[in-house]
Amino acid sequence: MAAHIKLKNVEKHYGNFRALAGINLDITEGEVVCVIGPSGSGKSTMIRCINLLEQYDRTGQIFVDDLLVQRGKNLKNVRAEVGMVFQNFNLFPHLSILKNVMLAPMRTRNITSANAKKKALDLLAKVGIAEQADKYPAQLSGGQQQRVAIARALAMEPKALLFDEPTSALDPEMVGEVLEVIKNLAQTGVTMIVVTHEMGFARQVADRVIFMDEGQIVEQGTPSDVFDNPKESRTQNFLNAVLNH
Amino acid sequence: MNHCHRIFAVALLALLSQLGTIDTNAQTGEQGPIIIGANIGNVPWEFQDTSGAFIGFEVDLVTEIGVRLNREIEIINVPFNGLFAAVQSGRIDMAISSVGITEKRLESVSFTQPYYDSDQSLTTVVGSGITGLNDLREQIVAVDTGSTGDMWATANQEKYGFSEIRRYEGLAPAMLDVVIGRVKGYISDIPALLYYVKDKPNLKVVERIPTGGKYALMLGKSTPLTNEVNDIISVLKQEGFINTLHEKWFGAPADPGTSTVDIAPLPGTSSGLIFSFVETFLNMDVFLQTYPMLIAGLLTTLQLGVLAIFSGLILGLFLALVRLYAHKSFRIIVKAYIDVFRSIPLLVLLIIIFYALPFVGLSLSPFYAAATALTFVSGAYTAEIFRAGIEAIPRGQFEASEALGLSYRHMMSDIILPQAIKIVIPPLTNNCINVIKDTALASVVAMPDLLKQATQAQAVAANPTPLIAAAVIYLMFLLPLVLWVSSLEVKFKVGER
Repeated sequence: MAAHIKLKNVEKHYGNFRALAGINLDITEGEVVCVIGPSGSGKSTMIRCINLLEQYDRTGQIFVDDLLVQRGKNLKNVRAEVGMVFQNFNLFPHLSILKNVMLAPMRTRNITSANAKKKALDLLAKVGIAEQADKYPAQLSGGQQQRVAIARALAMEPKALLFDEPTSALDPEMVGEVLEVIKNLAQTGVTMIVVTHEMGFARQVADRVIFMDEGQIVEQGTPSDVFDNPKESRTQNFLNAVLNH
Repeated sequence: MNHCHRIFAVALLALLSQLGTIDTNAQTGEQGPIIIGANIGNVPWEFQDTSGAFIGFEVDLVTEIGVRLNREIEIINVPFNGLFAAVQSGRIDMAISSVGITEKRLESVSFTQPYYDSDQSLTTVVGSGITGLNDLREQIVAVDTGSTGDMWATANQEKYGFSEIRRYEGLAPAMLDVVIGRVKGYISDIPALLYYVKDKPNLKVVERIPTGGKYALMLGKSTPLTNEVNDIISVLKQEGFINTLHEKWFGAPADPGTSTVDIAPLPGTSSGLIFSFVETFLNMDVFLQTYPMLIAGLLTTLQLGVLAIFSGLILGLFLALVRLYAHKSFRIIVKAYIDVFRSIPLLVLLIIIFYALPFVGLSLSPFYAAATALTFVSGAYTAEIFRAGIEAIPRGQFEASEALGLSYRHMMSDIILPQAIKIVIPPLTNNCINVIKDTALASVVAMPDLLKQATQAQAVAANPTPLIAAAVIYLMFLLPLVLWVSSLEVKFKVGER
């Protein structure tokens, strides 16, 4: 089960500033796409438009499995299909780890508390923190919190997952454990878009790498296309800066 | 809040000046003006003319007494209920306000010989069908808190079957409610009412209630000034001066044989002792006599407070959500509501709701008028507290909820509000404390709350002990809340990162 995501001429303006300048993108079922590029290039804005945390300009269109992403009753269905993992985890601090994972399925899918709990414990085991189920977010390390956030997103059984710089807020020694979980997910066949600064990770898991700058897709292709033979000078400059320091 | 502050202030000032009196009395050699307290607005005894000057029968009398004593006089406006504590504490030297001599009052204050024989009276609206006390069975009557009329009505409530005695802070608000029709009759001093209805054809004094009241000047217990003033009154009666005042203010000379004409002895006191500080402010007998009234008042205060707090919470939450998330036009309306109701003094709002709304056909009982006013204001403050609480929740919490597909309702009830509650509990509790204190303002719409009961008990016993007791009761309820908020604030601060 995976989703097909399509962006047609998507633009986004903040006043006079153009954050997205006409994005066209077709992501097939089960594809794993890594988005790289300098800060402020519009990477996060683009994926936040896919589940409408940001409203894109009316001129463009985004489809998730043929559902147009817009305000209205469809939005609920889109969000049920598309999970998201944030840079700052955004766990619910007043709920236990278990409740964080159980809440959304119970509220949106009307499943019983017993079933939700069973499933949540399975997911927590899968991300390696089942034994922390009764703790609260503040009692966990950053890496553990991000793994809970992934389990929380998976509890909705999404067909697509959006990762918004999932390791940027982590201490270096915790980056590995989170990337490991995401890597395993990539093999399950779910469609994934990962905004990241981890070039090694992108090279390893991505089916396609997209380089963005100034709100545009500058270059895209397989990891070896983009990393080993970048065609655009902007891509070359960026890779030189991040890889050779 | 202000009214509540006022009782604490009156009690405190009374207390402080009591401590100071010994000194000031000792150095009587230096004579300042005689300070006279008067319940201004009590026609025709002491009120203001169009220029704002104090005029009236008793004003003329004390002015003449000042001339004869060769001393300056200074008249200050003190509500009727405040006069007793004021003379006892020495804040004023003398009180005028058609104060009747009673046994009870003589225990704690002194009176000169009387200069006017009064009775009580029943005033009603012409055409209301009430032509006497016997028509008032199952009806509500109005009185002035702690007045002779109050005492008479209380003693005769069963006999005449009044369904309720509603206590007002003076003639004007009581008459307003008589005209509106919320109360059927007003029991008060006959001379004031005869004077008041003179130019008002829709009102009539329908019955004289013989209570044999005698008005006199009230002074502190056994002060030397009492005898001096009393002697001058004797002289003024001999000269016929007081009778000319009677003619001036009532249009005819007094009958022979009345107190206005004949010299009378100084009213005897059942005990010649000067009351000590403890007997004045912490009088156990007075407390035991009056505490059932205070408890009844406390219950009313708590009922009103709890009702207003809960309805204010619901209103406030609703307003906060509209203010934050509704369509722009609704947001503007709600913002205007919040700004207006946070700016308008509660007392003004209360008077508008109670006395003005009946003219557009909406007549609320004192309890519901007070509850409505408190709810409107509390709702506005609560809305701002909730808004601040919700706005303090990080944006990521909203985004995570939305991304998970939670509905707006579930986002609020499961994620945002539970976190906001922790932030808003201390300011909400502070608001609750203010609401409970503000219930004291309901006194002005004749609601028998704790402060009202205390002032009434104080006037009846002519002793400020019930006010002190009321202050203690307020403290007993509010101090724990204040301390709880402080401890919560400390706890939450520690809990934060």
